[in-house]
Amino acid sequence: MILVPDVVSPVVVAIYSPAVFVGIIVALIGLFGISIEKNDLQVLILTDIVGVAMLIIVAAVGTDLAESLVLPGLVVELAEILAICEILMSREMRKTGKSVALIPTPLNFDMEVLQTAPVFIAVILVIYGAFLSGFTGGAIAGGGILFYVMSLTVRGVPSDLWEGIAGASGIAWCLWITGFLVLFVFPSYWLLGLMLAAFGVFIKVAFKAGLIGVMNREEFRKE
Amino acid sequence: MVVSILGSQIIGIIPLGDIVFYMTSFNLFMFAAALAFTFIIAISKTETQVEAEFGSLGDREIKVAKKEFKFRRFLAIICGLATAGAMVTGDIFDFTLFVCLIGIVNIGIVGAVKQIDVLDSAFQYGLIAMIASTPLFVGASLILAATGTISILAINSLTYTTPMMLFGSILLFLGVAGETGVAPFFATKAEMFRTPGSPFLLIIHLSSLLVIVRVIEILLIINKPF
Repeated sequence: MILVPDVVSPVVVAIYSPAVFVGIIVALIGLFGISIEKNDLQVLILTDIVGVAMLIIVAAVGTDLAESLVLPGLVVELAEILAICEILMSREMRKTGKSVALIPTPLNFDMEVLQTAPVFIAVILVIYGAFLSGFTGGAIAGGGILFYVMSLTVRGVPSDLWEGIAGASGIAWCLWITGFLVLFVFPSYWLLGLMLAAFGVFIKVAFKAGLIGVMNREEFRKE
Repeated sequence: MVVSILGSQIIGIIPLGDIVFYMTSFNLFMFAAALAFTFIIAISKTETQVEAEFGSLGDREIKVAKKEFKFRRFLAIICGLATAGAMVTGDIFDFTLFVCLIGIVNIGIVGAVKQIDVLDSAFQYGLIAMIASTPLFVGASLILAATGTISILAINSLTYTTPMMLFGSILLFLGVAGETGVAPFFATKAEMFRTPGSPFLLIIHLSSLLVIVRVIEILLIINKPF
């Protein structure tokens, strides 16, 4: 019984079991580190190594179905590590009674390059992302917007612009979901579904940075 | 074509492209139970804990603020919906993702409390859940590598069982056990229930019970011991 089709080269097939063993060894290294480490933050970072081992073994399968598990696996790892970080932070804040800001305090520099360069870089990234479109383009354009927001934060400039962007992001997300539903429920309208999903995911990923901007505004108010 | 899974006939399938939900009487019952409990939790009010004060005869009430209450109710509803989804999905990858969602939401439900020991326990449960997502996904991917499919309906029609499938399903079970915090890992989760706001905490118990029953069904389908 052989499931691998003939077009796959035997070298690739032979790599599979070494890759699984590498993944298991990586996971064991991570677990060993967790077992001897007593600092909570270090344990959290070491736990991520175990997650990387998971990605290695899943990616070793190498089919498109496996690829469809790599991205959710990565997202799940990130979501869990963020949730546990929040728990750790709020526990430490309760213990010490002090609250900690996520973004560092604004700098008081009066330099022209701080006002012109972020705008230029952000515009270039957004335009390049618009050319790429889809998920990758959205990530690049979002990186540009995020960079702009971060530079605003560091300069300490208050901004009310981002709430509308967050709303647009939510609407684009609905477009994305609708596109997927059209693909699944009415496969004959696939072009409409594809366009809805591609357009929606581009805007959504790009504007996800807007949400971070809204969160940052809480930091501005603190000034 | 009459297909039967573990002796019970399939009532129907919901084909959404590659994602196929299938319904047997067993799945439908658990799906309805999860949805009914989610509905009850969504309309219920939070409890007020009463703690006896040490060294005196007084009592102290612990109430949950309205904002925190709304947040927890939202997460509890998400957890219930994820449980209901895990009951009827016919796809192992979907199942693992639903289980991961349950794990994350469980951390979130107790994440906003103020007691330090509850936060401590939530942190440890989170670490276990994160470590357990490794055997969970690895088990699913080993089953995919061994059978070439992740559809439970397609695996049900296979006639063979290889050791790789057995190994993968053992890892899958380990992952689900860690992610929902049942028996070997329950010590990390036990302290979490001391937080006030009981009806929302019940969904943590309910989701782990239902998911364990469902994963046993999946393992029986994959390995066909009978």
